[in-house]
Amino acid sequence: MIGWTRRELLKTGTAGLAGSLAELPLSASAQGTAQPKRGGTITVGLTQAPPSLDAQLTSAQVARAINLHMYETLYARDENAGVVPDLAQGADIAKDGLTYVLQLRSGVKFHNGKTMDAGDAVASLERYRRIGLASILLSGVDKMEASGPLEVTVRLKKVQSNFLDTLSSPGTPLAIYPAEEARKDPKDFKFVGTGPMKFVEYAPDSHATLERFADYVANPNYTKRDGFAGRKEVFIDRAVFRFMPESGARTAAIQTGEILINETTDGPTAKQLAGDSKVQVLKLLPFALNIAKFNHAQAPCDDVNFRRAVAACLNMEETMSIAYPDINKLDGGLVYGYSPYYTTAGTELYNINDVAKAKEWLAKSKYKGETLTFICDTIRPVVDTATDIKEQLGQIGIKIEVKVSDWPTVSTLGFKPDGWHFWTHGLGIEPYEGPAKLMSIWANGISQIKDDPAIDKFYADLLAELDMAKRKEIFASFQRYMYENAVTVPLGNYGMFQVVSSKIKNFVPYRVPRLWGVWLDA
Amino acid sequence: MRRFVIRRLLIAVPVLALVSLMSFAVIWLVPGDPASAFADAGATPEQLAQIRHRLGLDEPFYLQIIAWYGRILHGDLGQSILLNRSVSAAIIERLPVTLSLTALSLIFAAVMGIIAGILAAMRHRSWADQSIMIVALLGLSIPEFWLGLLLIFTFAVRLHWFRAGGFVPITESFSGWFLGLALPAFTLAAVQMGFIARMTRSAMLEVLSQDFIRTADSKGLPWSVVVTRHGLPNALVPILTVLGIVTGSLLGGAVVVEQVFSLPGVGRLVIGAVLSRDFPVIQGTLLFVAVIYLLVNLTVDILYAVADPRVRLE
Repeated sequence: MIGWTRRELLKTGTAGLAGSLAELPLSASAQGTAQPKRGGTITVGLTQAPPSLDAQLTSAQVARAINLHMYETLYARDENAGVVPDLAQGADIAKDGLTYVLQLRSGVKFHNGKTMDAGDAVASLERYRRIGLASILLSGVDKMEASGPLEVTVRLKKVQSNFLDTLSSPGTPLAIYPAEEARKDPKDFKFVGTGPMKFVEYAPDSHATLERFADYVANPNYTKRDGFAGRKEVFIDRAVFRFMPESGARTAAIQTGEILINETTDGPTAKQLAGDSKVQVLKLLPFALNIAKFNHAQAPCDDVNFRRAVAACLNMEETMSIAYPDINKLDGGLVYGYSPYYTTAGTELYNINDVAKAKEWLAKSKYKGETLTFICDTIRPVVDTATDIKEQLGQIGIKIEVKVSDWPTVSTLGFKPDGWHFWTHGLGIEPYEGPAKLMSIWANGISQIKDDPAIDKFYADLLAELDMAKRKEIFASFQRYMYENAVTVPLGNYGMFQVVSSKIKNFVPYRVPRLWGVWLDA
Repeated sequence: MRRFVIRRLLIAVPVLALVSLMSFAVIWLVPGDPASAFADAGATPEQLAQIRHRLGLDEPFYLQIIAWYGRILHGDLGQSILLNRSVSAAIIERLPVTLSLTALSLIFAAVMGIIAGILAAMRHRSWADQSIMIVALLGLSIPEFWLGLLLIFTFAVRLHWFRAGGFVPITESFSGWFLGLALPAFTLAAVQMGFIARMTRSAMLEVLSQDFIRTADSKGLPWSVVVTRHGLPNALVPILTVLGIVTGSLLGGAVVVEQVFSLPGVGRLVIGAVLSRDFPVIQGTLLFVAVIYLLVNLTVDILYAVADPRVRLE
């Protein structure tokens, strides 16, 4: 067995805690200078209601904002998306990479008063494997068992180097529930977790209320808030998450003090509020990677020369400035800059904006002047992205019709082999979670609607490789391949503006508005 | 009267059957399904297919519609895909919000619209008449979402007189209920106010030119009495018709206003259901709204007879 204790995990790049602490944003590392105060309620304005408060059943961003306060996972992500233990104490991995023995933290309480044990962890993971939205994440598991009161042994069918990454995924969290809840029909599930806040009330389309979990035992292995892990100490009494789809209403509500955090606002509003002493306007960048996808099942997008022409033509600075003014960053990396896997491989082909070269590629391609379909959803920056790309490609003679539909329509159409040539949207959690998650989007031809054996091989090699340095090399080769073959066009990173009342202290923007580690200074 | 009501209720059955069939068919034809609401952009087709299977969305059209009508006949609107509760429960939970909003809007619209219409008719062709009609036209023309945001900015953000949004049940606090609903109700009422004012003015002008009004006036009755006791009752039938239409429009307008003011009502339920393709909620809510429309129309027809004894419902 390779003994991967927490101490050793901290030393490795996989865990990356030590590295992550060193690279914490300035505001985060400078936190904690004032004395925390207990009490009070923070009301957060969210853009929509969550599809579910059962963390295992949804990957919606808005659900994470609430659920990650109520539920915890065995492993979690630190500030820089490194994998670190949360409910687990650490893991021992067998030399063959097939057996993981997870030691759980002792004395962890569920909101129903029960103390967590290995049986709860196994029942929760089994539930995820059965009905979890991303149950595919556990498809490589052969068997799981409680091998001790606080020990879970997982046997994999084949080596899966990202197994701990999987356990820590905040996308569709592998949340740990009490075994009796995990075995219930999902309709009867009671929203019981181990998180620092517990469920109080859900008023449909109106709000969800959580309160501080008085029996919460903060992870003793950490001293500070750190991503989704770290020390999750809650100082406020209550949190109310109000569902406010109208941006203007959220802005008005934070100005009147009806809410204390506005999850997101647009650039002009952020500028307008910047001079208001009652609020702080904070930037969360990067939040997502803006991409333009090709449908490789449709001519001329099946032609690498055509795709290269498109990639060579585009001026990303223009597109990103129009779509996400004041909150974008030109970056060709397919994972965020703070990731240990970040690489510039292939990025010499990013944002080259060479019209002459693009025309050359286009002349060699199958494109015959037909009108191509660009699908996108109704969100304004997404429509702006599609419209700007249409205008830019018009310079080299590519005709495009932009078709705007709501998200359910676009997300159904975008996985079909016909009806579209281009599709633009953001990838938020995938570049955050790292190479395996990101590569899975193109593995088995999912996003490009056509198998690409080279990508499948990169993906398989990455999952089979336990050595971090070699995994980095594989990911760098994958990224280079993506650029050289213009599999997709990364446009750049974008972020979001968050507006927080000046009464809230020690708030640091993250992928969800974290309410642990913050307090109210009335 | 009883026969009339029974006959109207029987006629409503095929209307409702048609409404439900059309809503089911239209929803079936629209691309997209609720699976996308559970997942983000990186979801794989396998994940989406898994959700569809779990939700029973991969069953053929005829099986789904047979199941739908089977449930309807048992008074069951089905189970929401996303809300983890029955459609009936989802509607009933939100009904107090929409009823409160619609009722308050109707009061604002009816009281202010009728008074404005009467004043305009009494001061026919004067500057007051012209001003009222201009304001009425303005009310009819302003988009609800824009007026709503303008009112929020002025009366909630600047003056702090009302709340910017949210709902407080009347059972918890009357002032909280009113302060939260006043702006959305006024927003919703603005369009209908203009409509009612214009219709009231027309109806009153027609009645005020009748011989019996001239007779009442020549008897020496004060003009206000002539208008309120002799004019208004005779102009009520067209005003009642307008109020019936307005009630339906208020229910429809609530969709936008509830969204702007973050009110958790039936309108917001519909918007959310359409955007996430929660089919049972869309179908159930459309059926529910159709029932409300039919009941409002029936009530208006009955009120005709009450307002004007010459109307015979038989």
